[in-house]
This record gives sequence, C-alpha cells and structure tokens, in this order.
Amino acid sequence: MAARSWLLLVACLMVAAVAGVAYGSVSVALPDIWRSLMYEQGGDALARAIVRDLRVPRVVLGALVGAGLGMSGAALQGTLRNGLAEPYLLGVSGGAAVGAVLVVVLIGASGATVPIAAFAGAVVAVLTVLAVARAAGGRGDPRLLLMAGVVVGAFANAAIMIALANAPANTVRGATWWMMGSLADADWAQVAWLSVYVAVGGGALLAMARQVDILALGAEPAASLGVEPDAASRRIFLAASLTCAATVAAAGLVGFVGLVVPHLARGAGGRGHRTVIAASALIGATLVIAADLCARLVLRPVELPLGAVTALVGVPFFLLRLRTLA
Amino acid sequence: MVLVAVLASVLASSCTRADHPPGGQAKTEAASGAATGASATARSVRAPVIDDFGDTLLLASAPARIVSLNPATTEILFAIGAGARLVGRTTWDLYPDSARLVADLGNGLRPNTEGVLAARPDLVVLYASDDNRSAARSLRAAGVPTLALRIDRIAEFARATRLLGRATGDSGRAERVVDSVQATLARVRRATAGLHAPTVIWRVWDRPLLVIGGGSYLSELAAIAGGRNIYADLPQPSPTVTAEDVIRRNPQVVLTSPGGETRWRTSATWRGLPAVREGRILVVDTALIGRPSVRMGEAAVSLARLLHPGITP
Repeated sequence: MAARSWLLLVACLMVAAVAGVAYGSVSVALPDIWRSLMYEQGGDALARAIVRDLRVPRVVLGALVGAGLGMSGAALQGTLRNGLAEPYLLGVSGGAAVGAVLVVVLIGASGATVPIAAFAGAVVAVLTVLAVARAAGGRGDPRLLLMAGVVVGAFANAAIMIALANAPANTVRGATWWMMGSLADADWAQVAWLSVYVAVGGGALLAMARQVDILALGAEPAASLGVEPDAASRRIFLAASLTCAATVAAAGLVGFVGLVVPHLARGAGGRGHRTVIAASALIGATLVIAADLCARLVLRPVELPLGAVTALVGVPFFLLRLRTLA
Repeated sequence: MVLVAVLASVLASSCTRADHPPGGQAKTEAASGAATGASATARSVRAPVIDDFGDTLLLASAPARIVSLNPATTEILFAIGAGARLVGRTTWDLYPDSARLVADLGNGLRPNTEGVLAARPDLVVLYASDDNRSAARSLRAAGVPTLALRIDRIAEFARATRLLGRATGDSGRAERVVDSVQATLARVRRATAGLHAPTVIWRVWDRPLLVIGGGSYLSELAAIAGGRNIYADLPQPSPTVTAEDVIRRNPQVVLTSPGGETRWRTSATWRGLPAVREGRILVVDTALIGRPSVRMGEAAVSLARLLHPGITP
C-alpha cells in the first residue's frame, strides 16, 4: 500500500476524532473546547466536564473498539478464506449477549458486572465453537468453524429470547440497548483496560499476519509451506475472538464493522495481511468514531443505537466495494 | 442482525406500556363525567362504563370474582373494599399485604388469557396498554366483562378509582378514597408552596440513561413535593437522555432508587456534575413511591421530607 494511502487513512481518522470531540448532543463553543483540552484549570466548568469526562474518553474508546473489530475481522476473513467471516458470525456476539443479558435479567445490574459477564460469555462461546469443530474432527477447518459459530449463535439467540420473554420493561430496554451497541458509558478506566486488550490482541494478529497469508492460500499449500493449518487457524481464531470479545465488553454489540472494514482495507490497496490488518485498524477506528458522532447528532438529544448506525454508514462503502469486485 | 430486529420489536412493544391508547381521550372525559353523576346513587351498577380502550362495560350486578392485572388497580380495589372479591392478580401486586394471598396469574402485560379464564372471573381489570388490546378482545369474546384502565397520571388515578367504584358497586367509598388522597396531596402542595424548589433529576436506569419525564405521575409528584424536574418538558414518562444534556441542565439534586447512588457517586461520567460532587444525591423509597395509586399522598409526603428536611406536611 502506498505511503499516500496510509497518510489518507490517518488523516481521515484525525478528522473523525476532532469532529467527535468538537460536536455532541450539547453545543459547546470551540474556544471553550480548546481551553478545556489545553489547560488543567479554569475555563467554563460545563465545557470541561463535557469535553474531558465525556467526549474525549468516548472518542478514544470508539477508536479502540473499531480498531479491535477491524483487525479481528481482517485476520478471520483471511484465515477462514471467507469474505463473510467475522467474529460476530463465529459466536462471539451471541455468547457475549447471553452473558450480558443474564446479568441484566438476574441481577438487574446496570453497573460493572455487565462487561465482565459479556466477556465471559464470549469466551465460553468461542471455546464451545472450537470444541464443536474439534469433536466434528476438523479442528481448524474453516467450514466447521463457521458452521459451529452459526449454531452457537442460534442457540444464544434462543437463550436470550427466553431470558427476556417475561422480563420487566426496563430490563428489556437495558438488554436491548446493550445489544445495539453504545459508547455512552465511556470513561478512562474502560479506555485503559481495552487498550491493553487491543494492543496485545492486535499485536498478536499482526505478528501472525504471515501465517494468515499462507492459510489464505488453502490448507494444502499451507502445509507444504511448513504451516500446520489446524493449529495456526486455532491460534488466530482465539486471538481474533478475544480481541473482539473485549470490544464487546466495552461497547456492546457494534455490528458490521468486523465484516465491512477488511473489505475496505483491501479496497484501499492492502494486499498482504500485515497491511490489511493494520489498515483495518485505522479504518475501523474511523468508522466507529464517525458512526458514533452520527448517532449522537442525528436525533439529538436522543442517541441512536451505534450498532445500527455503523451498518447504515458502512453499507454504502460496502456496496461500492462490491461493484469493483464484480 | 435478526436478533437485534426481534429484540427491537420486543422493545418497541414493551415501550408502548406508556403510550396513550388512541382515541381514548374524549370518551374518557365522558366516562368520568358520568361517574361523578353516578356517585350520588351508590351501588347502582347498571349504567354502562366506557373504558380506556373505548369499550363499553355493562354489568348486570356487582361482580363477585374480580381479576386485577395491574398493581395500581389492585391497591385501589383493596382500598375501596373490594379486596375480598379478588381471585387473581399479577406477580408484581404485592401491596397491601393481603394482596399476596390472592392467586398469582403472572404478567399484567400480555397476560395468560387461559389462566385468567380459569379463575372464572366476572370482571377483569387490565392496564390499558396497547400490549393488552388482544387480551381484552379475547376475554370479551369469552364473555368475561373486561375493564381496561390507564393510570399514568395523578388525575387518571381519581378517574380510575371512581370507575372501579361504579363497577364494583360502591361509588361512595371510592369517592372517599379519592378525596383522602387528594387532600393529602393538597396539604403537601401547601407546605412546599413558599419554599425554594430545587431543580431535580430523577434517575431511573443507567444503561441506557433513563430519567423521569413530564409524562410520568412522578414528575407531578416531584412538583407537589417542592422540586422542579429538569426533564418535565419531555412528554415521555421515562425518556432516554444523554449525560452531556444532564450536565448542561445542571440539576441541583439527584433523585434515584436504591442502588443508583453508589454508581453515580463513583462514576467518572458524573464527576463534572456539582450535585454529585457536593453529595446531593437523595434515595427515594421505591417501595412506597412505585405506583400511581392509593399511597400517592404518603409518597408525596415522603418525597417532600426528602427534598425539604424539617418540614412537616
């Protein structure tokens, strides 16, 4: 990928990030925003609270969520040789949603337990998918992993509907809101732990990018090139799913990013998977920040569900990309 | 995606709980006018009652087996002396204590119609939410007199109580219950009238951030108790709002149900809110202030004491 393309991607991310801090459901004068960002003390207290405690952590969290989803989607699409593969399709979203919904329904908590339960649910679902694929004899076989993921996801849907069938209105509202994704709860503590997960998980995926390249050729060529396909796909699958699970714990289910972003990265000229994964991080971050900004602005002061907006924003790009593929 | 769509529809249907049944307004006023007229002739049940679905209820005699599928109407029925005639309630109807002895028939929204019929009621009282239209239809089709009542505002409590009084055949007692609640509310209003009314936010839920809006009786109750709800301008009972907007509106006091105060005190989101920083978070007694019903007077008293310590309404 040319240096110019990289510069363009970084520029887009910067523009989105600046806009994400500058605009929101409440109008804050630009000089006040600047003073809140630059100086530790003084300035308008309202602007400080909104910019420092709400908007900046929100934009940073959005960038991390988008980067994590983009990278895990890119690695999975290459490894499983399937343009539809993405962590949500492979059981992560279903498992995370079951964990979160059970906590909301049983404990009624709207606090710190939901992310932990979501992460635990995602991990259980991912391990189940691996176990199902192994029991079927295929271990890292892409088709088995995909089918096992779809089945685990369907099971999770059923469990969620049963859990919510008789729940009180606010519980249903809370659970649904979580499943539609949101960055409204962003704070620096979340940013801190998610950045660790995305750095470690994304770093691992980048380090395994060469194996993704080889696996993308097919199992037999991979074996002849000295990569054990089952073990390698399992490792990549785990790293990608855990990265994704961490983003889900932070922001709920933000759909479409893991699916569409890798296609955009390849459209931007990415060929080898090191490039595609890195470009997916930048595009994913930009897409989520931009979608979150739309979610905050379109019907303000009401916020739209982020997961729906990412799809709305992502679909036109995806359609353009399909045209160039056809 | 399919999942999200399905849940969105579940959500949409559960939100209609607070919607106004279309076309109910004009008929409702007519019905309450009729109710006042009938109160003069207590124990007369022959005049038809028009409910909040616009359906007409004609009872030949006072009902002896009543199913009440709304905690608020269950409280009212006990207060007007019809509690002994209850043969069914929802899982959530736990007041007064004797309500717990009535058979639990499950949900009040989209109730189990078979279970309701099995209780062999001669009157079913439903909450008038769109969720309940099909249940009301099937119960009427099965020949069971059904009364759908909406009780979301303080004024609707008085109207519902009078209608229930007529339906159960004791309008006089229903009138006394209404008078007593309204007298207490008026007393609280007088006690707080001269005081400085702080601006309040009434937190309901954190994810998403739900607050009490102008469409809820709790907003009216807060006003009576000497507080100004910063979201009284929003028409919904419990609208979703953003943290940025809360900080901009800058309430002087935060009201919350038990459990919310810890989260608001510790969350970085609310660090910038002076009310939180300076510890002005008040925990309301949700067991008392949960329903727009018979205990609204007591609820207003407890809320007024919370907002204005030292006053004796």
